[in-house]
Amino acid sequence: MVEMELKRDRIVIRLGTKKWEWVLEPRYWRNTLIWVVVLFLFPTVSYFVSPGLINTMISANIYAAIAMPLALLTIGTGRMNFGPQFYIGVGGYTAALLSIAYGWGPLLTLPFAILMCIVAALIFSPLVLMARGLYYVLLTLLLPLVFLEVTFIYPDIFKGDTGLFGIVPLLDTGNAKNNFLFIGYLSTVIMFAYLWIINKVLKSRYGLLMAAINDDEDVAHSIGINISKIKIIAFVSACTMIGIIGWFYAHYFSSFAGITYLPLTFMLKILLVLMIGGRAQVFGCVLGGYFIAFLEMLMIRFMGPIQPVLFPIILLVLLFVLPEGLFGLYRKRRYREYLPTIHVRR
Amino acid sequence: MVPLLKVSNLVKRFGGIVAVNDVSFEIYKGETLGFIGPNGAGKSTVVNCLTGYLPATAGKVEMNGVDISHMKPHERTHMGLARTYQIPRPFPELTALTSVLASSISGKKRINQSFQDAMYDATHYLEFVGLFSKRNILARDLTFYELRMLELARALATTPQLIFIDEVMAGLNPGEAKSAVHMIRRAKEEFGITVFWIEHVMAVLMEAADRIVAINYGAKLAEGTPEEVVNNDEVVEAYLGRGWREYA
Repeated sequence: MVEMELKRDRIVIRLGTKKWEWVLEPRYWRNTLIWVVVLFLFPTVSYFVSPGLINTMISANIYAAIAMPLALLTIGTGRMNFGPQFYIGVGGYTAALLSIAYGWGPLLTLPFAILMCIVAALIFSPLVLMARGLYYVLLTLLLPLVFLEVTFIYPDIFKGDTGLFGIVPLLDTGNAKNNFLFIGYLSTVIMFAYLWIINKVLKSRYGLLMAAINDDEDVAHSIGINISKIKIIAFVSACTMIGIIGWFYAHYFSSFAGITYLPLTFMLKILLVLMIGGRAQVFGCVLGGYFIAFLEMLMIRFMGPIQPVLFPIILLVLLFVLPEGLFGLYRKRRYREYLPTIHVRR
Repeated sequence: MVPLLKVSNLVKRFGGIVAVNDVSFEIYKGETLGFIGPNGAGKSTVVNCLTGYLPATAGKVEMNGVDISHMKPHERTHMGLARTYQIPRPFPELTALTSVLASSISGKKRINQSFQDAMYDATHYLEFVGLFSKRNILARDLTFYELRMLELARALATTPQLIFIDEVMAGLNPGEAKSAVHMIRRAKEEFGITVFWIEHVMAVLMEAADRIVAINYGAKLAEGTPEEVVNNDEVVEAYLGRGWREYA
């Protein structure tokens, strides 16, 4: 008979005298292969089954792709940033305005969107050196809201209420369904690229220095870490990565309105992706992104008008039940890894 | 002989309170300098000023003849200063090994030091303080003595020339304290470092220190060999109060 036994790190399956073992380690290459293949097969399968699912998948990938740089930002600066969507606004508006004014395609607007995000991040980078705790939270929280007001004050540039229209689309194959499929793959590629880069950074010596800063800034300074340099590099690079998502949004929807991304509701969703995934764990962000995008989709489909009330309640309950997030369920058994998480300070 | 560290007329004011008042002393290579004073005398403030954690109001600090008064803490660490804290301040979310690894990577600049090289270094220092078997334990789960040793390993891993030790005996039982003192002596011998040792327990410094500087109310009271300082009337008065002779 088939016997299955769950050990600490593996499942052992016995059939007569034969024995198979399966290691329960997300980064064990066979398991990694499984979830990479699943993610790449998903758009193709849903292309034939239900193309709407591709849309949800794109949302999930993009939520994850915003949450991952936010994780880097939080760990690298040792502070919780509540305004990552400001850079979505900067990247998105740069791409949208350039595309509308000069008819530029996504490839031409991308370098300018990146450049603007770098400039904006550099302008606001002294915040990570000067402000800490509540002050930093308040300042970062205010930035996107101020930007939102600016879009209303100058309606002839930003078209505050309605948003900008007529942006050159990301891809145009002539068939909306095919466009969805390709953009689905593109979003997966962006998500994987971010995952790979940020995981590499956090595993490198710089990741270790960031973890030290995240734990105790003064001690990190006293053991010889140039905390200003590390914090500014982490801040600027993470903000630029978030800004690229703004560029993606602008070209994906062919329209861009600050009111969709800059208010607190969008920010809250991203923060929940970060926390429910597993307190700023990069792999957790992917889990959290998919969890929240699909939960949102299911609730919109089945809950109807009660969805806006129930959705945050479910997430809040989850935050209490899983304080370490979804990835924390696995990590609890692997405390030896030094993967840094958010350190909540007063 | 050029002193390793020369402190001239160091002053630190917090608003109207003068915490350190015109303190000058020198530390020479290879010696152990004891630093004593009653509670609140300004010992830790001096260390904070020397390591750059607090900016000094006035005065000059020179290391090997280079003025480091305006350098940031990390630059001073790269020059060869390291410190431990009176109350251990570990990186709570990092394991013992990675804490030391972080300081091995970021300490004094070593050319072409790879991540692996730093890891070997960190392992060595961790083994030196006797924490190798605890290398994978999170720092927040270590005992008080182990935290002290981890701090020492973290300070040593920056390859300092001069190490500031802030009250290593506080909170340790006699057995642990003895091995902590033994460890500092061994570190001094094996790595050829100079030690600046703040301590309340006089018996330890009497044995370990080559010279002692005593301060009270932020100002220097006495400087000399342990015997000279212990027999100095002003020092005894600072500890025991005026009129101590009547009760002696």
